[in-house]
Amino acid sequence: MTSTTYYDSDQARRPLVTEFQNLWDNRGLIRLIVGRDLTLRYKRSTLGIWWTLLNPLLTTGVMWIVFGQIFRFDVGAGIPYIVYLLSGILLVTFFSQATIAAGSAIVGNAGVLSKVYVPPEVFSVSAALSAAANFMISIIILLVVQIITGVGIPWTVILIPIPVLAMLGLTAGLGLLIAAAAVHFFDVIDLAAVFIQLVSYLTPSFYPISIIPDKFLFVVYLNPLYSYLTVFRGFMYGGEFVDWWMFAYMVATSIIALLLGVWMFSRSWRSLVVLL
Amino acid sequence: MVKRQITYEKLWALKGISLDVADGEVLGVVGPNGAGKSTLMKMLARVLPPTEGRVVVRGTVAPMIELGAGFSMELTAYENIVMYGTLLGRQPEFMRERAPEIAHWASLDDFLDVPLRSYSSGMLARLGFSVATDTDPDVLIVDEVLSVGDAAFQQKSAERMKNMIDDGASVVLVSHNLQTVLEIADRAMWLDQGLIRLEGDPEEVVAAYQASVG
Repeated sequence: MTSTTYYDSDQARRPLVTEFQNLWDNRGLIRLIVGRDLTLRYKRSTLGIWWTLLNPLLTTGVMWIVFGQIFRFDVGAGIPYIVYLLSGILLVTFFSQATIAAGSAIVGNAGVLSKVYVPPEVFSVSAALSAAANFMISIIILLVVQIITGVGIPWTVILIPIPVLAMLGLTAGLGLLIAAAAVHFFDVIDLAAVFIQLVSYLTPSFYPISIIPDKFLFVVYLNPLYSYLTVFRGFMYGGEFVDWWMFAYMVATSIIALLLGVWMFSRSWRSLVVLL
Repeated sequence: MVKRQITYEKLWALKGISLDVADGEVLGVVGPNGAGKSTLMKMLARVLPPTEGRVVVRGTVAPMIELGAGFSMELTAYENIVMYGTLLGRQPEFMRERAPEIAHWASLDDFLDVPLRSYSSGMLARLGFSVATDTDPDVLIVDEVLSVGDAAFQQKSAERMKNMIDDGASVVLVSHNLQTVLEIADRAMWLDQGLIRLEGDPEEVVAAYQASVG
């Protein structure tokens, strides 16, 4: 909502404050963009909404055969491998989709940005939100699988919005960082994709942490995604709060990523718009 | 191996431009291609920040620099009206209410729930124009978008523009149609290679510009 009735290009821009103000002012537009993205996702494919649900299920199915039946990972605590696997796949997919989408959102919307004034950060944040919405929808299959395998649905499931919110902060922050850089060097997006792949492998999504040799454990612990995944799994089927360190690490990395991303974006904003 | 690529020299699209547009005034901007007219429009529409200097705009702005920003071909006209209007700064709820009226003005009533993919270029232009002008702005920035549609629609558009001007909007109009500039501008400005060559009475400015071309 750009109904500013007074525009002065000299008006000082306060880093972080301006961005959050812009996002708040444009919340109607953000809601519209997320809704449109969801609609388009369903309209395009013949399967429609089922594809969003089917896609992770197919990936999980293949991985379940390979890792569950052939490698036979034991993920402990009597949890069926498929539940462990699906929860891991969904979260890591959420992370990678959100970050890439948010990272390419500004370059991707260059058409609009070159014709109408819209704060560019609106597009990055909307992209991350779209991925979050998709994630929430695909949780449905996980719930169904949990019921089928007898794992059930603990009350802690209602706390799922917490790790989702944290993931939103993380991916929006990273996305803004990438988006700002991408206008100068488009290759950044490809580099980010590789980096995300790497982080995905370092996250125990399809393997239990027990197979990691002790001396390499610290790498996994350092990986922020591990804390998100652990908290998420704990709420989703563990029925418990995992240790506070995990929770704190998750929240801290989310806040830091968001603030850093917004701040870096704020600094490069001017040259960004001109280069589009 | 170093990648061969085009390097850009720094080019000032506009240099030392200083202009004021008073309340309700219509400023016509003429000049050859590459003069910097589009850059000027974009700076007034807040799309581009000035590299140096200052831009101050008081009031609501209706930018008409290429219509149909954000049009999504897969979605219906209704959905696009709401999206485009919101991008232009209005509220989604307001746009939902206005959508039927907007479609009606562009003679597209029957096509409101049709995906834009099925629209002809003329229909798209009419739709874009209708959404963009469905407003009562304080400032209107128009960049060559008046000549869309058939004769009947062109007359309709001209009338709408006239209404906005009569309602007191300040207008900055960029046009290659010198006749239009002569008809509606209070003042004119001849821009060339980023500099103001002449400013003042529309007839004088247009004449001078035409002389330089002829």
